[in-house]
Amino acid sequence: MARTKRRMVLRFPAESVNEPITYTLIKEYDVLINILNADITHGREGNLLIEMVGDKGNVDNAVGYLESKQVEISPVVKTILFNESACIHCGACSSVCFPGALEMDPDSRKLQFLPEKCVACELCIKACPLQLFELNFGVN
Amino acid sequence: MSVQKTFQEINDRIKRGEAVVMTAEEVSAMGKTHSPAQVAEKVDVVTTATFGPMCSSGMFINTGHANPPIRMERATLNGVPVFTGIAAVDLYIGATETHPENPAYGGAHVIEELLAGKDVELEAFAKGTDCYPLKNIKTTINRNNINEMVMFNPRNAYQNYPVAVNLSNRIKYTYMGSLLPKLGNANYSTSGELSPLLNDPQMRTIGMGTRIFLGGTTGYISWYGTQFKSDAELNEFGVPVSNAATLAVIGDGFQMNPSFIKAAYYEKYGVSMFVGIGIPIPVLDEEMATRVMIRNEQITTRILDYGDPDHPELGRTNYKELMSGEIELNQKKIKTSSLSSLFKAREIAELLKEQIKKGAFLLTEPVEVFPKGKGLNSLEIRS
Repeated sequence: MARTKRRMVLRFPAESVNEPITYTLIKEYDVLINILNADITHGREGNLLIEMVGDKGNVDNAVGYLESKQVEISPVVKTILFNESACIHCGACSSVCFPGALEMDPDSRKLQFLPEKCVACELCIKACPLQLFELNFGVN
Repeated sequence: MSVQKTFQEINDRIKRGEAVVMTAEEVSAMGKTHSPAQVAEKVDVVTTATFGPMCSSGMFINTGHANPPIRMERATLNGVPVFTGIAAVDLYIGATETHPENPAYGGAHVIEELLAGKDVELEAFAKGTDCYPLKNIKTTINRNNINEMVMFNPRNAYQNYPVAVNLSNRIKYTYMGSLLPKLGNANYSTSGELSPLLNDPQMRTIGMGTRIFLGGTTGYISWYGTQFKSDAELNEFGVPVSNAATLAVIGDGFQMNPSFIKAAYYEKYGVSMFVGIGIPIPVLDEEMATRVMIRNEQITTRILDYGDPDHPELGRTNYKELMSGEIELNQKKIKTSSLSSLFKAREIAELLKEQIKKGAFLLTEPVEVFPKGKGLNSLEIRS
């Protein structure tokens, strides 16, 4: 069966915050969950930016389970586009990139862009003096 | 007897293709296994370079006269105001001047487009005089239909610069880049042991008239830069611990390569311009050898809090630590990044090395040395 990967922001209602939802997703639905960003306060609403990887059927079932728990799901289709060929490798973007998608190679001093680590926080867009990053709203 | 070489002797070796030329990084690495006497014996010239944002930059152009002629009193290029307060069709494009409706576009972008051969829209206004009757003009100019384009940068190549951090609770957008709150990151701007004025801190060989690499071609040091400071505190290795000496440089825009001049925009600060500068340093004797052997860990700089308008000093670090990608301050590990490009600076140092090796670039002895013990005034607000 085809593997699929989806990025989404999960918004938990206050009554679900204390449920072991991530555990259930992994254990019962056999999907791989990569938490990219989390902002959860017990007893209040919470947000989780995740990447869900698994067989398409399992991912669909997992999403169905989340919906049954009143978790609001917003698909993340934002990605960052980088005009790499115009880069002068100053590195100004690298220290604002907290997930480590923009790193300077210690030997060549060239900027490395690792899109798989990017969470589209958009800080690089403002940090780049040559304005080489832009937001892409296309389908992920 | 210790080695003593003159500019003339080194130039003769360059002309014969015998000069030993190394980049400042290569000679710093050599310094780990060689004494200054050995370096002075073996190496003739060391190439240094920097490629960083340098606001105090710009370009003079002369557009040629229209018929009937106009004495331009206000003018814009692609909508960016340019300085007209000199003769009729002489203009100065200041790198940081911005388009009134687009703060991310400015003089540096116009300069980059002129270097690249693009058409630029010129609009100018005048009151009209008996000798210059035309009152307004709208046309396009490019590198092929103007008389001169001379880059003249009043302050470039700062000798050292502080590291910027932000202790406040809000992100700060500065000329030192985006500074995340609560020491979220640290930004610096130098090529460290490759930087020109850190390899000749007393400016024995770098002075007025020195031939340099500027923006892809040959340029010259025309004067000491504005805000030049030669009385700064030195560390134990003889280099200033903060921003000190500067250079005013000049070069022919027609010969420049746009890959070594790049327009920049810093969010909520404004436009600046990356300038590529390379300076050869002759290893005249053991003392100069000691200078060019300086290593990143021997170059100290101050860490300033840009979250506070007074920029108080929070600590000191060195370029080895900064270039490792992380420094420690207030028991916190902070990610560092550079605003100047070490990758491009290395490219310049290598290019200059190759030019000197093949005899295409000779060294110049300063026509005059820079002032010693020069301090700075600050602007007093008088009521």
